[in-house]
Amino acid sequence: MAENFPMATNVKSFFTEIGSLSRFAGRFFKQLFSRPFEFREFLRQCYQMGNKSLLLVGITGFILGLVFTLQSRPTLEEFGASSWIPSMISISIVREIGPVIIALICAGRIGSSIGAELGSMKVTEQIDAMEVSGTNPFKFLVVTRILAATLMLPLLIIFGDFVALIGSALVENIKGQVSFLLYFNQVFDALGFRDLLPATGKSFFFGFAIGLVGCFKGYNSSKGTAGVGRAANSAVVYTSMLLFIIDFIAVFLTELIYG
Amino acid sequence: MKNSNPQNLKLGIFVILGIAIFVAAVYFIGNRQNLFGDSSVITSVFKDVNGLQRGNNVRFAGVNVGTVQNIRILNDTSIAVSMRIDDRTMKLVRKNSLATISSDGLVGSMIVNLLPGENDSLASKPLQPGDTIASISKIATADMLTTLSTTNENAALLTADLLKITNSINEGKGTIGVLIKDEEMANNFKQSIEGLRQSTSTISRMVNRVNVILDEVSYKESVAGVLLSDTIAARQIEGIISNLEISALQISDVTTNLQQFSYDIRQGEGALDYILNNPGAVEQLDATLKNIEEATRKFDENMEALQHNILLRGYFKKQARIKAREETQMD
Repeated sequence: MAENFPMATNVKSFFTEIGSLSRFAGRFFKQLFSRPFEFREFLRQCYQMGNKSLLLVGITGFILGLVFTLQSRPTLEEFGASSWIPSMISISIVREIGPVIIALICAGRIGSSIGAELGSMKVTEQIDAMEVSGTNPFKFLVVTRILAATLMLPLLIIFGDFVALIGSALVENIKGQVSFLLYFNQVFDALGFRDLLPATGKSFFFGFAIGLVGCFKGYNSSKGTAGVGRAANSAVVYTSMLLFIIDFIAVFLTELIYG
Repeated sequence: MKNSNPQNLKLGIFVILGIAIFVAAVYFIGNRQNLFGDSSVITSVFKDVNGLQRGNNVRFAGVNVGTVQNIRILNDTSIAVSMRIDDRTMKLVRKNSLATISSDGLVGSMIVNLLPGENDSLASKPLQPGDTIASISKIATADMLTTLSTTNENAALLTADLLKITNSINEGKGTIGVLIKDEEMANNFKQSIEGLRQSTSTISRMVNRVNVILDEVSYKESVAGVLLSDTIAARQIEGIISNLEISALQISDVTTNLQQFSYDIRQGEGALDYILNNPGAVEQLDATLKNIEEATRKFDENMEALQHNILLRGYFKKQARIKAREETQMD
């Protein structure tokens, strides 16, 4: 019946996907607190996701701050409000731009990496082999990756925000004759806990979403090399969309809490 | 496994670095909000807080010394603002201080300013934790903008009127318009100016002539000179004027007496009033006068007769001789 209506098929598959993802997430939380803990693999994944992404996040963050300040400066100068640049840039970066841009970068790097890695393991039946050898593949491959992504992403975002502010301060120092001390003084004058804490809170959910979708797509990829590519691609696409949904919910909740 | 130790080291550095940045950010933000240092809470009650929010700065002599901790509405005209102030500053702020809410720049966020107060009895006492200080309300930016808006509206009306006036002038309407646009008027005006110039020239010449005449006046010989320069003449004139004043006073008295006299005549019952007010009396008086005239004439005739009387002729001759002698002596 549904085959006659492509729209209905799409809706059905969408809800099926959501249901499967939820079950996958439930399985993650179930396995998270049960022994044995794959601590070494978790640390390895943290290193792979955290340290290996550091350069990418650093360069992206630095250019983000640099460009954002350069682009905002003429308009604010025209308005006679160039002294507001540190406040405006810091609030924008810490609250929204930094977390979202860095999460999207990480979705591309980490999400696709997890999707491709698990997808190829699935295709080459390594996951089945692990099961045969008595290792819990979900615990070893999925839990460690999701947990590592969840914990590493906030750190990457904090690092990225900091580098972005340094980039912005550099532009202000060169173009606006504003010292680094004055710049960061104004930054911390403008920033409050209502800027920092919700942004940090939502970055955990960003990390969780990247890890979860990447693992889900890789773990459930179809057979063949095309399936690996599809898993990696869809992991990035779904994660990016999910990031914006999480961001919207986070901003909505922040507004509700802080008014 | 050999690579795990350097990896762990790098991971550890990254994690600690990330956490350190986060903790530093929390510390700096918290420090701005006086969360970590020793601080005390004071309160001030305002009628209107003009959009003040929790976390806004509190300034003392232009220095950030605390933040707004809480804002509570007590009733429809009272809003209590609790402020967390650094303890080091608390010693410097006096009990008579006044809190005022103002804007940090034209488009800046609101701030609370602590100002020195006027109540001298409290000036020596430093602020204590939990104290409530008085507040004053300044003109808010919104009020300022409202005033500015009214001024702008007035300026718009003025410019609109000015535009109408300039348009009218350009179209040659009204006195100024005619003055500027009408060539005939301009010519008339030019002629008037020319006439005025000539008049001025004539007046100038006249003034010069008057000056010459004045220069030629001999102060010692002419009447004007005497009047202007002779002090004796001045005293005499002064005396004359004084006499004139006295005479005027006397004339005034005489006039008053005459007025009184005529009043008395009109009001009184004497002979004159009788004569004036009784037409029959005048006729009688006229008749009496005629009789007297007649009697006088007859008396003259009698006297003439007496002079020729023999009894009295000697007396009259004697009188004539005495008179003649006196006239001779006089000559």
